[in-house]
Amino acid sequence: MDLSVTAEDEAFRAEVREWLAQNLRGEFEQLRGAGGSGREHEAIELRTEWEQALGAAGWIGLGLPQSVGGRGATLMQQVIFAEEYARADAPGRVNHMGEYLLAPTLVAFGSEELQRRFLPGVLKGEEMWCQGYSEPGAGSDLAGVRTKAVLKDGSWSIEGQKVWTSLAFHADWCFVIARTEPDSERHRGLSYLLVPMDQEGVDIRPIVQITGSSEFSEVFFDDARTEARYVVGEPGDGWRVAMGTLGFERGVATLAQQVGFQRELDQVIADARESGTVEDPQIAERLVQAWIELRVMRYQALRTLGTNEPAAASVSKLLWANWHRRLGELGIDVRGAAATVLPAEPYELTREQAVFLYTRADTIYAGSNEIQRNILAERVLGLPRG
Amino acid sequence: MEFTLNDEQRDLQQTLRGFVERHASGKVVRDAAERGEGFSAPVWVRLTGEMELTGLAIDPAHGGAGASFVEVGIALEELGRSLVPVPFLVTVTAAHALGGPDVDAERAAPLLERITGGCVATVSLGENSVRSTGARAGVTLNGQLDHVLDGPHAAFVIAAVEDDDGPALYGIDLAADGVVVEAQATMDQTRRQATIRLSDAPATLLTPAGDAGAAAVERAREILSVALACEAVGAAARCLEITVKYLGERVQFGRPIGSFQALKHRCADLFVALESARSTAAYASWVVDGAPQELPTVAPLSQLVCGEALLQIASESIQLHGGIGFTWEHDAHYFFKRAKSTELLSGGNRYLRRLVGQRAGII
Ligand SMILES: Cc1cc2nc3c(=O)[nH]c(=O)nc-3n(C[C@H](O)[C@H](O)[C@H](O)COP(=O)(O)OP(=O)(O)OC[C@H]3O[C@@H](n4cnc5c(N)ncnc54)[C@H](O)[C@@H]3O)c2cc1C
Repeated sequence: MDLSVTAEDEAFRAEVREWLAQNLRGEFEQLRGAGGSGREHEAIELRTEWEQALGAAGWIGLGLPQSVGGRGATLMQQVIFAEEYARADAPGRVNHMGEYLLAPTLVAFGSEELQRRFLPGVLKGEEMWCQGYSEPGAGSDLAGVRTKAVLKDGSWSIEGQKVWTSLAFHADWCFVIARTEPDSERHRGLSYLLVPMDQEGVDIRPIVQITGSSEFSEVFFDDARTEARYVVGEPGDGWRVAMGTLGFERGVATLAQQVGFQRELDQVIADARESGTVEDPQIAERLVQAWIELRVMRYQALRTLGTNEPAAASVSKLLWANWHRRLGELGIDVRGAAATVLPAEPYELTREQAVFLYTRADTIYAGSNEIQRNILAERVLGLPRG
Repeated sequence: MEFTLNDEQRDLQQTLRGFVERHASGKVVRDAAERGEGFSAPVWVRLTGEMELTGLAIDPAHGGAGASFVEVGIALEELGRSLVPVPFLVTVTAAHALGGPDVDAERAAPLLERITGGCVATVSLGENSVRSTGARAGVTLNGQLDHVLDGPHAAFVIAAVEDDDGPALYGIDLAADGVVVEAQATMDQTRRQATIRLSDAPATLLTPAGDAGAAAVERAREILSVALACEAVGAAARCLEITVKYLGERVQFGRPIGSFQALKHRCADLFVALESARSTAAYASWVVDGAPQELPTVAPLSQLVCGEALLQIASESIQLHGGIGFTWEHDAHYFFKRAKSTELLSGGNRYLRRLVGQRAGII
């Protein structure tokens, strides 16, 4: 165990820092701090242009192999890029579904033809993606998917409904889990389809969420079409592909996320000083505890970086989701009664109000707390199924 | 950047795991605890003799193996798994304190050589009533050291003493005239304590006056914290393993109790606490030699996080075992008593949290 950083890594860090300083200016300057969880609607057009600037400079798909157009960067370099990006307060990325979920899935399970068709769009920041997994009857229990797809006149015809689809209104494509074998049940007979969003058979209805804004939608498919060859893995093998997506390395993203968390915590500490609540021993203790836990999350991410075991992924998800939700509570507690009043009608939120409300989602999506505990208990600790 | 254990470190871990399972767990621990000594001399002789474990991180010039604290941390964790009743933790803490940058190397040398020779050393780093008199060369100490861990079996103690010109570390031979070692009965039967009374007891001053002395005392305390953190991880890991195994075997209502989701989720939370502690202890033991500037915050942080994890796991372990967990006969109480005693001896978790907060500049 040696945690020191090499000279090459330092040079890479300098390169990233320099590029961000040179490029996050002019019209992009206003993007600092924009976007991210709960604020995905902010400046979305300009953030998409920024994504393309990143793509042109080769900063998208850092960890993907060079053979498919990625940069083949080491884990450490990916961490450095993500940390510097967060440190520069560069905007929330608009295509994380494409870069972190779809692209590695294509590399692991997609044919060369699909990789050639779809990876460049992600790597150049030109095609945005959304994730079509959840349905009204299939949330935690994804195998309950009922959206159907059948081959008709040489293309897939899709019928059904997805829900909670983040950034659907902004996406060009959706990766959809659909039932392609009639009468199949549970995790059998599913396929992983790539479906264009801009077509008559796709109807997107935004859902207003707890924050008053909408970043997710219901998506209705009524004879929506996609080409027969736009299926990742074999038809019927969609469950394995979808589960593979869940198993990808997440340590890099976790470490980057922590830079943003540190900034949020620093702000809460500053707020507590300003409001005087830092003098309250209980508030002081919660602030210190939050600081400690964030350090622990960093040590955890460093120790498990590069592993893709279910233990590491579930531990990390439980740690950060609970931490962030508690920070949301602490953030408004240090403000006291002042935190009950909004800055403006109809429902504009201060930063701490947004974090307080938005973080209720952190423990629900991407595998709820309860599902993560089931995974740890059954798959990691080996406790008997009930 | 390398995050995983290397081959040699893994070998050390495996060797110790095997040794502890075969020779230093179960009956050995129980016998030592019940005999009222909390010390297994045969295990100690093998660990310090053929395995040369206490010399692990001591400079080869003094007969050690010159490893880093990461290796010491691995050993502490493995011995912690069975709460092996040997004074390893205090001895390596003394050794690492003696090897510190602010310690007089010439005066420390004979003490380090006694450790590589198999002697038990301990530390006493809390506040005490001890005062020094006399010139630096022929100095003597008066007063009392309380709660000296493994004091009853130690040959010498490294003690923090508040001198007129600031904190200092002294080496005190416990066989010397003017030293009385009184063994205490302790709630934690696997780690005994002594009260040590000094009346004109001869001692070796190990640190220079002023800031350097204070720094040496602080560093010794930090090493003790990290050592306790590593040991707690081993104990917590084994305690959770025992508990999970039991939940898979014990049948009530016609099914293993481990299939009830209420219990599963509690075990999952304990596992998260354990993994967090493991990462924290690993990081802290790297910091000791790899990034000493971080030690003042990371050390108390590691003791807090790992100590809380052990206490949480040990107390849940009793509950999840039901009646059997409440018995003298079951091992669960050893972990529980160790966890709480360690917390109390360190000033309590709230104290540690405040310390971290102050050092991190938050409060
Ligand atoms: C902000 C946000 C963004 C999202 N974005 C997307 C997206 O882009 N694409 C997408 O496909 N989905 C998305 N989701 C959906 C998300 O994945 C689901 O909400 C999640 O899987 C939970 O499903 P559910 O909402 O149906 O709740 P349910 O599955 O109905 O769960 C309700 C409660 O029951 C608990 N529960 C369920 N099963 C068990 C069990 N076996 N044991 C114990 N407790 C259990 C849950 O933990 C939860 O507390 C998003 C959700 C949110 C909140």
